[in-house]
Amino acid sequence: MRKKILGFLCFSLVWQALPAGAAGGLEGVSVSGFMTVGATYGDKQLLSNTEAVSQDGTIENTPGFTADSRLGLQISAKVNEDISITGQLLAKAREENSNVEADWAFINYRASEQVSVRAGKIKFPTFLISDYYEVGYAYPWIRPPQEVYSSNPITTLNGVDVLGRFRFGDLSLLVQPYFGVSRGAQALVPQEAATAFPICFNGTTGTFGACQAGTVVYTDFTADALRGINVSLSSDIFTVRAGSLETKVNAPGFGVFQDTAKFSSAGLSMDWHNVVLYSEYFKREISGAANVAFPNQKGSYATLGYRIGKWLPHFTTARIKDNNNPTTPPPGFPIAGTPLDQKSNTLGLRYEAGSGAALKFEVQKVTPKEGTRGLLIARPDMAPKDPGDDVMIYGISLDVVF
Amino acid sequence: MKTLKQIWAVLLLLVLWAGFVPAHAALAIIVHPNNNLSGITADEAADIYLAKAGVFTNGKRAIPVDQAANSPMRKKFYSAVIKKDDSTLKVYWSKLLFTGKANPPREIGDDAAVKNWVASNPDAIGYVDGKFVDSSVKVLLIIP
Repeated sequence: MRKKILGFLCFSLVWQALPAGAAGGLEGVSVSGFMTVGATYGDKQLLSNTEAVSQDGTIENTPGFTADSRLGLQISAKVNEDISITGQLLAKAREENSNVEADWAFINYRASEQVSVRAGKIKFPTFLISDYYEVGYAYPWIRPPQEVYSSNPITTLNGVDVLGRFRFGDLSLLVQPYFGVSRGAQALVPQEAATAFPICFNGTTGTFGACQAGTVVYTDFTADALRGINVSLSSDIFTVRAGSLETKVNAPGFGVFQDTAKFSSAGLSMDWHNVVLYSEYFKREISGAANVAFPNQKGSYATLGYRIGKWLPHFTTARIKDNNNPTTPPPGFPIAGTPLDQKSNTLGLRYEAGSGAALKFEVQKVTPKEGTRGLLIARPDMAPKDPGDDVMIYGISLDVVF
Repeated sequence: MKTLKQIWAVLLLLVLWAGFVPAHAALAIIVHPNNNLSGITADEAADIYLAKAGVFTNGKRAIPVDQAANSPMRKKFYSAVIKKDDSTLKVYWSKLLFTGKANPPREIGDDAAVKNWVASNPDAIGYVDGKFVDSSVKVLLIIP
């Protein structure tokens, strides 16, 4: 409800600001936005009772538009020389009825030429492109590699961050510590946990029981004392970054209370003489009961592309694996750690379709480790029809910024 | 005799004029007359326009303004000073804008509008066709 009120307030603001901003008459207020319309198709039906292919159900064994389509609208206003406010509303097709959420809503205070402090709702940088994950136009892929980017279900915090920006000749150093809490975020429940915990409501019996295989369930997920730091060094050619974050997570449906989750990551990107390169690595460590449903993970990817005029063909190889899973569940837990182990290879093509628009095509081959389902909804080698080792996912999208 | 001298003077002026203002429009990077800078390099101007620097080399705040998207002077400025193509710039700004780190320069309009804006804003920096320059603004760099 609060979100809806906030969304309505922001929309009212945008509505009032739009005509004036469009006429260039309102000083210090700017309105901008981005949009992605995308279609995906997974070539294999993995379970007999659902068309879902990806574990979150957005990529299906039928052409669908919900995985990637979204609209963002940003308004920022200068309060005075040193204070500005920014709000960004995001409507995702994957959420029911494209509900609008405020993805960003903060006050920025410019303390000096080098240091700014922001307070409010902030998308924090777990990884290289986490804070502009929704802005498809800003990166080469349709979907940033899920072997890394699916691992942190919390992407925003309510709190503060500091942007320290320092220049050394042609190099820029960004030091960005952040601190806050996350409320009302939803984490995707792994299939193994959904079918083992009594979290699905059965209308006939009126009680909660284990879900059917293939049911996509989200659980409320809160994070306290979320604190992290992002350090990046960049020039016109490259960006190198490293970061870590730690938080106490709570997921009431799973007996998870104040368990520690830690992320460490490093990555780089480069754009040099038409050669485009991205690579990242991360490690996720989760302690206590949370580790059972949300295991430790390691993931990485590397992307290499070569720009030819308006075309950017690129290739990505990515891997995610669990590590240090408890092999025997703690007392009272019906399951052992959930295996999320897969690799994928992706061929992609980005085409600059005029100013501020990019058309993208992708073909991805997802191969879960033998005996696991990886980031799919079920094991492809147990598919009801044409079982095999991998699944092909096809995608096309149009990304614009305005 | 007097008329001949006058003709020579006019010719000399014309030659000088032609020397200062070439046939194609020169671009002038301008600031408010109260700005105590005597000049700026193209790289320093690019840093300000790309939000890498928020201040001039004298430490004073710098607020850049752009001409409208299709103006010839904007095209000239971006190819000669910023040296990035349109899609590279759009990606660059998408990353900064939608993460709340920086906003692109405000678009003001044409040469006359930018000159008037710069003339009335002590922190401003802009660029105009050289023939629009007058005493209301100070020229820091001329790009022929």
